[in-house]
Amino acid sequence: MTTMATPTQPQPTKPAPAPVYNPKSESGTAKRIKSTIFHIVALALVAMVLYPALWMIASSFKPNSEIGGANTSLWSNNFSFDNFATAMEGIGGVSTLTFFTNSLILAVGAVVGTVLSASISAYAFARINFPGRGLFFGMMIATLLLPFHVVIIPQYIVFQQLGLVDTYVPLLIGKFLAADAFFVFLMVQFMRGLPAELDEAARIDGAGHVRIFGSIMLPLMKPALISTSIFSFIWSWNDFLGPLLYLNTPEKYPLPLALRLFVDQTQSSDYGAMIAMSVLALLPVLVFFLVFQRYIVEGVSTQGLKG
Amino acid sequence: MIDRRKFLGTVALGTASAAFLAACGQSSTAGQTGSAENPVTINYTWWGNDDRAERTRKAIALFESKNPDIKVNGNFTDFAGYWQKRATEAAGGGLPDVMQWDLSYLRDYGQRNQLLDLSTVKINTDAFDKSLLPSGQIRGKTYGIPTSTNAFAVYYDPAKLQSLGVAEPDGQWTYKEFNAFMTEVGQKSNNVFYGGTDYTGVWWMFNIWLRQNNIQAFTDDGKLGFTKDDLKKWWNTTAELRGTPALVPEERVTQLAPKSAMGSNVTASEVTWDNFMAGYLGDSGAKEMKLVPVPSDDPDNLGLFLKPSMLMVASAKTKYKDAAARFIDFMVNDPEVGQIFKTSRGVPASKTQRDGTTFEGTDKLVVDYEKSIEKYLKDAPEPPIVGFGTLEASFKRVSSDLNYGKLTLDGAADAWFKEAEDLIKQNA
Repeated sequence: MTTMATPTQPQPTKPAPAPVYNPKSESGTAKRIKSTIFHIVALALVAMVLYPALWMIASSFKPNSEIGGANTSLWSNNFSFDNFATAMEGIGGVSTLTFFTNSLILAVGAVVGTVLSASISAYAFARINFPGRGLFFGMMIATLLLPFHVVIIPQYIVFQQLGLVDTYVPLLIGKFLAADAFFVFLMVQFMRGLPAELDEAARIDGAGHVRIFGSIMLPLMKPALISTSIFSFIWSWNDFLGPLLYLNTPEKYPLPLALRLFVDQTQSSDYGAMIAMSVLALLPVLVFFLVFQRYIVEGVSTQGLKG
Repeated sequence: MIDRRKFLGTVALGTASAAFLAACGQSSTAGQTGSAENPVTINYTWWGNDDRAERTRKAIALFESKNPDIKVNGNFTDFAGYWQKRATEAAGGGLPDVMQWDLSYLRDYGQRNQLLDLSTVKINTDAFDKSLLPSGQIRGKTYGIPTSTNAFAVYYDPAKLQSLGVAEPDGQWTYKEFNAFMTEVGQKSNNVFYGGTDYTGVWWMFNIWLRQNNIQAFTDDGKLGFTKDDLKKWWNTTAELRGTPALVPEERVTQLAPKSAMGSNVTASEVTWDNFMAGYLGDSGAKEMKLVPVPSDDPDNLGLFLKPSMLMVASAKTKYKDAAARFIDFMVNDPEVGQIFKTSRGVPASKTQRDGTTFEGTDKLVVDYEKSIEKYLKDAPEPPIVGFGTLEASFKRVSSDLNYGKLTLDGAADAWFKEAEDLIKQNA
C-alpha cells in the first residue's frame, strides 16, 4: 500500500543508558514476585466474576428450600439431580425439548437472516455509490436511537392486522430485512477497512457486484460475520419481550418464557427447577461461543495480510 | 428522523383507527355461537406456574367434553410478563376472549372499556357471598367474577414456638399483645430468628387497621379517606419494636429477597394473605404453619374481608360473548373444577364449588381459617384506584425507610402523602 513519504530526519544520538546495578538473580526474584501478584489478582478477579455462575451451578443441585434466602453455603448435603428431572419434565404438558427446539429455530433463523441481510446491505452502503446513500445511511443509524419500547405498539398493531401474531414471522422478519442497524453499521465499517483495490482488480477482470460480493467481500469479512453471528445468536437466545408479546401458544414458546414459569409469586416458586433449566439453557450459548470465538481470533490475525 | 417518526405515527394512527372502526362494526348481541360439528374457539389466558398450567388444562378438557360446541385455546405466562403482554394487546386491540385477572388491574382496564360488562351475559352468581361480588364491580358494571378468595392472617411456625417454650397464640389479641408476642419470641430465640416482620409496612394490614377504626382507605371519588395523623399513629404502632429482636431488620429482608423472611426461616411469624401457605411451606421446608386472625383493639371488629385472589374477566371485544360467559360460569361454579384446583387459586368463592371440593392437609387449614373468621367478615373494598400498585409499593418503600431510620415519622408521612396525592391527581 502507500508508503509514508516522510523524509527521514537525522536521529538525535541516543544517550547511552545509565549504568544500573541490576544483577540477574534479583531481577528474576522481582519478576517472579510481580508475576505471582499478577496471577493472584487475576485469579481473585476471575473468582469474583465466575462466582454467580458457580452459585448457579451449585444451586441447581440443591433442594428448593436450601436455595437463596438465609442459605449462604455453596455446598448442600442434599445433593441431587431432582431439579434437572423436574426441569426436563416440561411445563403444562409441553416438553422442555420443545422449548429448546423453538429457541434454536429462532436463534438460527436470526443468525442466518442477520448475516445474509446485513452483509448485503452493508455492501451497498460501503461500495455502491447510489443517490441518497448518505441520507439512507443516516436514517439507518437513526433507528439505533429509537428505543425498542417506542415501536412495540405500532409494530404489534401492524403484525396483528396482518394476522401474523402467534407465528415466528414478527420475530424473524426484521432479521431478514436488515432491521438490526447495529450489525449493518458494524459490517459497513468493516468493509470500509478493506482495500478498494481488491474490488477494482475484480472489476477489471469482469466481475459484477454479485461476484465481487460473493467471492471477494464475504470471505474477507469472516471476522465481522462471525461476531455478528455470535451476537445475534445470543441476543435471540436471550430475547424475552419479543416472544412474550408475539407468541400465544405455549408449544411455540422459547426458553426464556419457559424459565419464568417456574417462579410464581402468587403460589409456590420452584427456584431449583428454574436454576437447573437455566444451567441447561446456558450450554448451547456457551458451545456456540466456544466454537466460533476462535474464528474471531483467526480472522483478526489474517486481517494483517496485505492484499 | 422526523419524517420516519411522522410516518410511523401515521401508520400507527391509521391502523389503530382501523382497528377501532372494525370493533365498532361488530354487533353487540350474544355473538357467534358454535355447534358440536362446527365449534367456536375461544382464547383463555392465565398466569401461573407449571402446577397451575397442569390443573387448568384438566379443567379445560373437562369443559370441552361437557360443551362440545366450544373449544378453548389456553395459554399462559408468568405474572410480570402477563401484564406487559396484556398492555400491548389492549393497545393493539387483541385481548384474548377470557382472562384470569388480578384485582389491582381491574379498574385500570375496566375504565378504559377493555373489559366486558359481565352482567349483560348469563353467569350464575347465586352461590357467591354477597360481600364479595362488589369487589369485581365498578360504577354498577360487573367486570370480574371472583374465582376464589383469600383473607389476611397471622402465620406462625408452631415448631419454632415450641422450641422456645412460647405459647401458641389463639388469635384473639390486641396490637399490644401481638407486639408482646413477637418481643417474647425475639428475646428467647437468642438471635436465631426474629419475632416477625414489621407489619406496619404492609398496605393491606394498614387498610384493615383503618377498617377496625371505621375509616375508609379511599373515598368513593377515589381520594384518600384517612389523614396524615392516622398514618403516623399506625406507623407508630411498632416504633418501640424496631431495632430489637422482635422485628427482622429491613436490610435482612432485602438480602433474603426474592424469598420472604418467613420462607427463609428467619422469623417465627408473618402477617399476610392466607394463600401464601403453600409457598411458605415449600420455601422454608417447615413441616407445618398455622393461621390465626390479625390483632384488633376492638374484639368485635377485626376489619377482615375476603379479597378475590383472582377474577375471571372477558374482553369487551370478544366475538363469542355467550361462549365466554359459559366458560367463566363453569370455571367459577363447577364443583369438579374445585376438585381440580383445590386451593391453588385461593379458597373457591362460589359455595357450590367450595362444597363440592374435598380439602385435605394444607388446603384444609386455609379453608378452615376462612370459615373461622366468617362472622367477622365485612364487605370487600371496591377495586383499588388506578395506579394502586404504585401506591402500595411506595407505602412499602417509605415505611422501610422509616424502619431503616432514614426518615422520621413526620418525614415519612409527608413523603408518602405527597406521592399518593400526586398519583391520584395524575390519574384523576
